Amino acid sequence: MPHLIAISGPSGSGKTTWISQFLKDQSTPQFYVCPGLGEISVDLARIGYRFPWVQVVTEAQLKAVLADLPEQATVYFEWGFHLDLGSPFLAGLGCERVAVLPPDLTESDWHTWADQVVVGNAVAAPANGRLPEIWCTPLTGQVFDPPSLDALLIELTGGAYGQVCRMKGIFEMPNGHAFYVDFVEGLPGMEYTELNIPPWLEGRPRRFSGIEVVGWELEREAIAQTLLDSCLSDAALTQYHQHYQALDPTVDSLEEALLV
Amino acid sequence: MKLAVISCIHGNYEALNAVLSDIDAHKADQIYCLGDLVGYGPQPNAVVELVRSLDIPTCQGCWDEDIVEGLNACDCSYPSQLAEKRGHLAHEWTNQAIHPEVREYLASLPMTLRQDNLCFVHGSPNSQHEYLLPTMDGFAALERVLAAEADVLFCGHTHIPYLRELENGTLSVKVQQPGQSETQHQFTAPLKRIINAGSVGEPRHGRPNATYVLYDTDSTQVTLREVPYDYQKTCAAIIEQGLPPIFAWRLARGMEFAERAEDAGHVCER
Repeated sequence: MPHLIAISGPSGSGKTTWISQFLKDQSTPQFYVCPGLGEISVDLARIGYRFPWVQVVTEAQLKAVLADLPEQATVYFEWGFHLDLGSPFLAGLGCERVAVLPPDLTESDWHTWADQVVVGNAVAAPANGRLPEIWCTPLTGQVFDPPSLDALLIELTGGAYGQVCRMKGIFEMPNGHAFYVDFVEGLPGMEYTELNIPPWLEGRPRRFSGIEVVGWELEREAIAQTLLDSCLSDAALTQYHQHYQALDPTVDSLEEALLV
Repeated sequence: MKLAVISCIHGNYEALNAVLSDIDAHKADQIYCLGDLVGYGPQPNAVVELVRSLDIPTCQGCWDEDIVEGLNACDCSYPSQLAEKRGHLAHEWTNQAIHPEVREYLASLPMTLRQDNLCFVHGSPNSQHEYLLPTMDGFAALERVLAAEADVLFCGHTHIPYLRELENGTLSVKVQQPGQSETQHQFTAPLKRIINAGSVGEPRHGRPNATYVLYDTDSTQVTLREVPYDYQKTCAAIIEQGLPPIFAWRLARGMEFAERAEDAGHVCER
């Protein structure tokens, strides 16, 4: 029998981190589903990039995949905080229910719903039950000017465009590499992880990148404009690519190349 | 004689007013201004009018120059594409807002000012655009002070105040002329100082407070002053005047509107 597990909890509590520890196992077929954020999302793409052996399932594929699961399969449903725990779809799956919750949260709908509670990150519970909003946008094809992206992320997570409790994104860099960036309000710093995917040094990248922002009173237009202002033009991107292509392809970064 | 040295006001009238009150309370005999009266901030005309009305000797900053001559700095003046776009927006706004007589005044400002063994510049004696950072190579720093033919060089432009002492600088020069044996010359420079006045209207030290410097010519004592002011008024004026709201957010956090270029020693080729 395939094993179906639904994982829920507040934004930033560590749902994806909890799931990731099991996705390292390649001995049985693994599936990852993250509904509610459109056909492709930052989490779906990141899991796909990080664990290429895991089948990431889009909403469009879900019905067909569930109908034809291998016997040994494990399916992880990451059930975002914005989705209804009482959803008939979820109830119909008959899955094991895991809630990843901050240590200070002792009573909630997640407690009532879950078969198992896992202690996650010490993120703040939404004040007065006021759930945050989610804003996400694909950035596929866009490549960022790195110092502009730095400034933008500092401003965004610092509250310049509304109160942000969570931000995650996949961003393409001019050297062809892509980074996953993760911010959780209340946890120290911002996590930058270089994705283990081939450098893209020919034209605009035709692979997913995007951003997801969770918070209150988000100034969506201003965020979108600042993102656009931080992206490289075709001419600038071509110049960067020519520069990196001219470097020794066995050398990873400009700094290392200059040291050769 | 007690001098007060102010710099980088950037159209922030509230900050300038607070600093002038602080200077008054410290009974300074003379005020010098190191330029950048305009740019980014919402009250460029009021700032210039106040500085003029007090007859404060002022040298020209890079923003003052750009308002007079047009924005012609190369893009490497900015640390990022985003900062460049914002800088251009601020320039366009200021260029529209500025009164003709204010522009004339900015055009008349000298590059350097002097008083005895003191020299006052915006960036460095070489250029309004050059940053004299506290981490600058000691030889280069000493060269800048010697080029100014001064013992104390006052500068701004970096928006972070500091005092740097260049003690007993010794330069060794080897000269090889055709047909002659190599000769070595040594020059010893006495104590030289670089004093950066920080920024009145656009601080970059992580707090919104204005900074300036007091200097006693008799005791040579340097006092870096940090002055709180009602920065919320300036933030409100930024929004009211239609400048980008992100300028207000950054000002309130002492983050500066557009931080300095990565290669701070770079001077634009115009």
